[in-house]
Amino acid sequence: MKTSRKALASSLVMLLVALYLLTGCSSSEGATSKKTGKWAGQTLTVQMIGTFKMQDSTDPITGQKVKGLNTLKEEFEKQHPGATLKIVTMPWDGYIQKTKTMVTGNQADVYQMPGLDSGYAREGDLEPLQPFIDKDHFDLNKYVDNQVEGWETIGPDGKKRIYGLPVFGDTRFILYDKKVFKDWGVKDLSAHPTMNEILEKAKQMTGKNPKTGKQNYGVYFSGKSPEWLIVNAAEAQNGSWGSGQKFDEMKFNFDSPEMLKGLNWLLDLSKYAPKGITSDQGSEKWLTKDNNIAIMLNQGPGSLISKINSQGLQKRIGIAQEFNNDEGKGGLFAGSPFVMAKNSKHKDLAWEWIKFSSTDFFQKYLWEEYNSIPVIKDAKKWKSIKDESQFMNPIFDALSTPWTPHYPWVNGEPRLELESQVQGALTGKISPKAALENVEQKSNEWAKQQLNNQ
Amino acid sequence: MRSKPNRTKAQSEIALGTLRPKRSSLIWYVFLAPAFLGILCFMVYPILESLRLSLFNSSGTGGTWAGLANYKTVLSSSEFWHSVYNTFYIGFFQMIITIPLGFIFASMINSVAFAKNFFKVIFFLPNVTAIVAAAMIFTFVLHPDMGILNYFLDKVGLPTPLWLSNPGTAKWAIILLGVWHWIGFVIIICLANLQAISPELYEASTIDGASGLQQWLFITIPNMMGTFAFLLITGWIGALQRFNEVYVIGGPTGSPNRSIQTVVAYIYEHGFTGFQFGIASAATYVLFVIILIFTMFNLKLTKMKL
Repeated sequence: MKTSRKALASSLVMLLVALYLLTGCSSSEGATSKKTGKWAGQTLTVQMIGTFKMQDSTDPITGQKVKGLNTLKEEFEKQHPGATLKIVTMPWDGYIQKTKTMVTGNQADVYQMPGLDSGYAREGDLEPLQPFIDKDHFDLNKYVDNQVEGWETIGPDGKKRIYGLPVFGDTRFILYDKKVFKDWGVKDLSAHPTMNEILEKAKQMTGKNPKTGKQNYGVYFSGKSPEWLIVNAAEAQNGSWGSGQKFDEMKFNFDSPEMLKGLNWLLDLSKYAPKGITSDQGSEKWLTKDNNIAIMLNQGPGSLISKINSQGLQKRIGIAQEFNNDEGKGGLFAGSPFVMAKNSKHKDLAWEWIKFSSTDFFQKYLWEEYNSIPVIKDAKKWKSIKDESQFMNPIFDALSTPWTPHYPWVNGEPRLELESQVQGALTGKISPKAALENVEQKSNEWAKQQLNNQ
Repeated sequence: MRSKPNRTKAQSEIALGTLRPKRSSLIWYVFLAPAFLGILCFMVYPILESLRLSLFNSSGTGGTWAGLANYKTVLSSSEFWHSVYNTFYIGFFQMIITIPLGFIFASMINSVAFAKNFFKVIFFLPNVTAIVAAAMIFTFVLHPDMGILNYFLDKVGLPTPLWLSNPGTAKWAIILLGVWHWIGFVIIICLANLQAISPELYEASTIDGASGLQQWLFITIPNMMGTFAFLLITGWIGALQRFNEVYVIGGPTGSPNRSIQTVVAYIYEHGFTGFQFGIASAATYVLFVIILIFTMFNLKLTKMKL
C-alpha cells in the first residue's frame, strides 16, 4: 500500500513537473530582471502590432536590411538602467481578438491599440494618461495637430480623457497616375478635388487609352471596404456620420441626404471602375508600369513610398487630399496609440515607454525601418522625410485634418453593416435609400446593445 | 522458521492478486490526467463559459445579466437566418456534387490497370493543401478579367460571371472551391470501400450475364451505402462549421453583401469585430442545436449506427 502511494505520489510530482515544463510557466520577472539601477527588478511588457520583428531582417520589397525591435529595446534599457523590456509582437491579422485576449489576461503593461474605442477604456481596462502628462509637464504640442485629440475616448465614468498617445499615424488620400491623365489629355487632379471633379475625370478616362490602345479605368476603390468613402462624401457636403461618443448619446446620420448623395456618387463612379471592385479585384496593375487605372480613392500610406520607389514611379504618381468640410475637417482618423494597462504593476516605467515612443529616436526608427508614418512635428525636419516631400508633405497635411474624435463605431457593427449594405447597393441587390435606412436601424440597435454591455 | 517464508509468499500472492491491479489502474489514471486536464481546460470550460456568456450582455470583460435576450436577438436576426441559408446552400451543393462525382472518379481509378497510385495522389493533392492557401489561389482563378476559369469559359463561348464580385455567383465560387478541396478525400474513402467489396460478387454476376453497368448499379452502389452515409454525415458537420475559406475570401461579413457569410462567420463577426460576446455565444449554441438535429436526421436517414 505504502509502495503504491509512493508510486502514485512520485507519478503526480513527475506529471506536475512535466506540465510546468510544457506550459513554460516561468515567471518573467525573477529569471531575467536586473538587480541594479533606478528601475532594477522591473520588467515591462509591451505589445506591438504589425510586421515588426525583434531581430534584423530583409525587406521583401526593397531587399534592404531592416533593423529589428531589439534596437528599441537596447536604447530603452540603456536610458532606463535596471529595466528589462519585453516586446510581444503580433501581425495585423486577427489583432482585435488577440489584443482582447491579452488585455483580459493582463498580459502586458503597454498595448499598441488601434481599436482603442472598442470599450477598453469604458470598461476600466486602461489607465488615464493625464496625471502622468501633468506630473512630467509632458508637451503634447510635439505631436502633429489632431493626433492626440483623435485618440481621446470615454472612460468608465462617461468622461472623455486621454487614454492613449499616438505611436504612428495613418490617414487616407487620393492617388492618381499622371501618365494616364496625360495620355487622355486630362488636367491633373487639384490638391483638394471635389466629388464632381473626380466623377467627371473618371468618366473622361474610361475606355481605350488614346496613346496605348489598352483598356483604362477612370477610378478604383475598394468595394470590400467602401464605408469610409460614403462617410467622407457626406463630410464633403458638410454632413457627418452623426454625433456623440457615449452610447446613450449617439445619434447616427446614415440615412441623411448627404449620405444618400454620397452613395449615389459612388454608384456613378462604379461605372468607371473595373468589374471586380466588390471583391477587391481589378487593381492588380496599380503601382506598376502597366497601370490601367487613373484615380485610386481612399489610399493609405502603408508601404506606399517604398513600393513607388522600387517601381521607379516617383514622377508618375500624384497625390491629392480626400474631402474636407467647410471647417477643413474630413476623412478617417486612424493609426495606432500606445495605452497603459490599468493592472500594470510598473506604471511609471510604462509611462516612460510611452514618452520614449514620442522621441526622435523611436519615431525615426519606425519610419526608416518600417515606413510607419511619424506623428511628431519634428519629423518634417528629418532628411529622410524631406527626401520624400512629394508624398510626405500631403500625408502630414492629411494627418492633421481627419475627422476627430474618431468614429466611435469604427470597430463595431455599424461599420460592417455600412460595408455590407453599400456592397448590396453596388451590386444592385438593394436601393441606396433602403441600404442606408438598414444601416441606420442596425446602428441604433448596436448602440442600444452596447449600452447593455456596460 | 520454515513457515515464515511460506506466509510471506502467500502474502505476496495476495498482494499480487488484489493490490497490483488497483495500483496499476490508478497509475493509468495518472497517465490519462494530462489529456483529461486538457479536455477540461480547453473544451469543457470554454463550452460552459460560452453558455454563461450567452446569458449575459458582455463585451468580453464584465457584462450584465441578459437571460434569453441574446437567443431572442439571434433567432430574430435576418442576418443570422441568411447566414444559416448560405451555410446550408453551400453545404448542400458541395455535397450533392462531390459525393457522386468522387464516387465516379473512384470507380474509374479502381478500374484502371495502370497508374492507379498516380491518380490517387493527383486527386488527393487538393485535400492536403491548406484551405486558406487554396482560397487565396481561387481568388486569382475566379478573377473576372484575368482568371483562368473565365478564360476557358470565354474560349468555349460561355458567359463569364463576376464570381466573387457578385452576390449571386459568389456562393457558387465557394461551392467550386469546396468541391475541388474535398473531392480527393471522397475519392480515397470510396476507393477503400470499393477495394473491400468481395470480387466473388462480381464473378458470380458475370456468370449470370450482368453487364459492367449492372454490376456497378446493383453490386457496387449498394455496397457503398455505409461509405456514403459516413461521407454525408462528416461532410455535413464540416459544411455547417465552414469558416476559413469564406473568411479569407469575404471577410467576417462574407462580402459581397453577406452573400457567403456562414453561421460561424456570423459568430466571428459578432464576437471579434463587434465584441458582442453574448450574441456570439448564443449563436454558437443555436448552431450546436442545428448541427445536433441535422446529424440525428442524417443518422436516421442513412440508418447509420453510432
